[in-house]
Amino acid sequence: MKLFKSIKWRLQLWYGLILVVVLAGFGFTAYQLQRNRQFRQVDDELHRRISVLASALHRPPPRGQNGNRSPFDQPPRESDFGQPPMDGLPQGQFPDEGPPEGQRNRLPKFLLPAESAHLFDGSDAHGFYFSITAVNMSGHKEIARSTNYPSAPDVEFRSAHNVNRVDQIFPETERFKNSSKISSMMTFDNYRETLNMLPSGEMILVGCSIAPELKELRRTALNLTAVGGLILLVGLTGGWWLVSRSLKPIASISAAAVKISAGDLAQRINVAEAESELGQLAAVLNSTFARLETAFAQQKQFASDAAHELRTPVTVILTQTQTALNRERDAASYKQTVEACQRAAQRMRKLIESLLALARFDAGQEVLRRTDFDFSETIADSAELVQPLADERAVKISVDIEPVKITGDSERLAQVVTNLLTNAIQYNQPAGEVRVQLESQNGLAVLTVTDTGQGIAPADLPLVFGRFYRADQSRTGAGNAGLGLAITKAIIEAHGGTIEVASQENSGTTFTVRLPI
Amino acid sequence: MRILIVEDEPDLLVSLAQALREEGYAVDTADNGDDGLFNAEGTDYDAIVLDVMLPGMDGWEVLKRLRKTKKTPVLMLTARDQTRDRVKGLDTGADDYVVKPFDLDEVFARLRAIIRRSANKTTNIIEVGDVKVDTAARSVFLKAKPIELTAMEYSLVEFMALHRGEVVTRTQLYEHLFDENEDSFSNLLDVHVSNVRKKLGAEFIVTRRGHGYCIEG
Repeated sequence: MKLFKSIKWRLQLWYGLILVVVLAGFGFTAYQLQRNRQFRQVDDELHRRISVLASALHRPPPRGQNGNRSPFDQPPRESDFGQPPMDGLPQGQFPDEGPPEGQRNRLPKFLLPAESAHLFDGSDAHGFYFSITAVNMSGHKEIARSTNYPSAPDVEFRSAHNVNRVDQIFPETERFKNSSKISSMMTFDNYRETLNMLPSGEMILVGCSIAPELKELRRTALNLTAVGGLILLVGLTGGWWLVSRSLKPIASISAAAVKISAGDLAQRINVAEAESELGQLAAVLNSTFARLETAFAQQKQFASDAAHELRTPVTVILTQTQTALNRERDAASYKQTVEACQRAAQRMRKLIESLLALARFDAGQEVLRRTDFDFSETIADSAELVQPLADERAVKISVDIEPVKITGDSERLAQVVTNLLTNAIQYNQPAGEVRVQLESQNGLAVLTVTDTGQGIAPADLPLVFGRFYRADQSRTGAGNAGLGLAITKAIIEAHGGTIEVASQENSGTTFTVRLPI
Repeated sequence: MRILIVEDEPDLLVSLAQALREEGYAVDTADNGDDGLFNAEGTDYDAIVLDVMLPGMDGWEVLKRLRKTKKTPVLMLTARDQTRDRVKGLDTGADDYVVKPFDLDEVFARLRAIIRRSANKTTNIIEVGDVKVDTAARSVFLKAKPIELTAMEYSLVEFMALHRGEVVTRTQLYEHLFDENEDSFSNLLDVHVSNVRKKLGAEFIVTRRGHGYCIEG
């Protein structure tokens, strides 16, 4: 599933999930609040009616008032419950089967008081309805029921159900305790009903159709779902846009990286949003790319220079041998050819050794054979070694050294000194002078080699330790590939030392080497 | 044909000069740019082999200065085979270049080509009447029959053939057939001309009195 490995898609997925959970939670809460509010209104109405009915059940009716007969003190007549006591009043009815004879007298009779009649509109199928049942030890007897008492599900079932409910809700043991008020609220199909047990033993059920409320709630739910869906859609779109927008720098970074890996090291990431975290990343990558580019360019230049240095001796060998083989020659001629080839081969060997040494220093693979030795002895030996060259050029070497014990690779450091001395002689003027000094300063062995040569132009000073740098474009001798000072510097730095150059044009150059003791 | 080689690598210079001499060229040498330019300006070489990396004045500079006065064909020797170096060389006025390390045969071929081009010839074969000169094989045919010539005789025939229809002075011939180290006597040229006439026919080289020699086109 490559799709879900993409950060973009995963972010979007998580975002979508969180959005769905939040919206669902919000919608559910809103729905519940709305539902509770509506039901509470209904419940308040139901409770009000329960109170009215309860008080009507136990209140003696005002005498002489037309049609307002109390259900309690007049013996019930069947017909009393068959007709409305007053116009417009809901009809209280006894169920078809009358109460058992023995209980009849004890059963309270019920008529709705006129001032409460408006609370029950018997003709309204969706209005409030009630049912009053007398409950005693021997059973239940419904005393009155409003005409709009819902018939579906069928009355029998409901009656049985209500009785069961009573048994469940009000256990027999508690039923006749004089508890203050025991009531239960239930939702039954589209009806909301409350069932109250009066301490006097009557059970009053008041209910009403909540179809409009349920309809309202369904509409609310539908609205909430629709709005939620819309918000989800807008949110996901916005999220996608945001994710795309914030991942755009990553795309441009990877595009640049692809181009760079394809070999175009000059590519850079456009750091448009430098203040963002990705901008910082891009800046870091850019500087890495820049260093890479420089390193690659140097490497390329180095390889090109190295190849170039090898071309000349190879050309010599090719030309010499081809000429020699063109026709029969005498022995002296062949000898000359072989000698020329030998010189070329030696030059190549020296070059290759230098290149390998540099490569090892670069890679940190050059192992220094460290010993404790007197650096001044090394310098004296080197000075002796280059004396013939100095004599050849009539250059005077003056040595002013004090014994300084250092730890390092004596062979490599001898190479350093010889290198510096050879340069000082070669680039000196005829009958010039080379001064070599060694002293101990602040825990450092300080070696200075000063010549009286033509000096180095200020512009060239930073280049002298570079590879294939020559004071002159000319080749001052076979094997001088311009790697000497680069190797010298590498050896000194491997010892933790430094080398500096200072030069005055037409008066001389001084190399200063500082090595830790 | 007289050629100047400017090259600072002694072993290379020696063997190049030897090889070209054995090819029948008169060869002068210089091991630095200043000497090279001095020679090139003072003598009418048929071609110059010029190294790019030289002590003192480098090859580019020599070429640039030479082009102010001379159109001598120049073959550059370069150790760098990057395009920009070649472009620079050709733009500066080099006629061709060879990249080190090279094959001698390639150097010979390119030299023949630039010399031929400078003489406005397009092939290696020059036909003068019954005589055919193959400058690549360095051989001469008379009525399709190969004729044995010495190196100097061949050089004389080749130079004259390349300049057919022109009057070539004795000085020109001395300059192009002998290098600076050769002690040339004035009758040496007459000997070679006479030998060529014997081998290729008396009318092949016509003498223009007071001017020089000519091969009639």
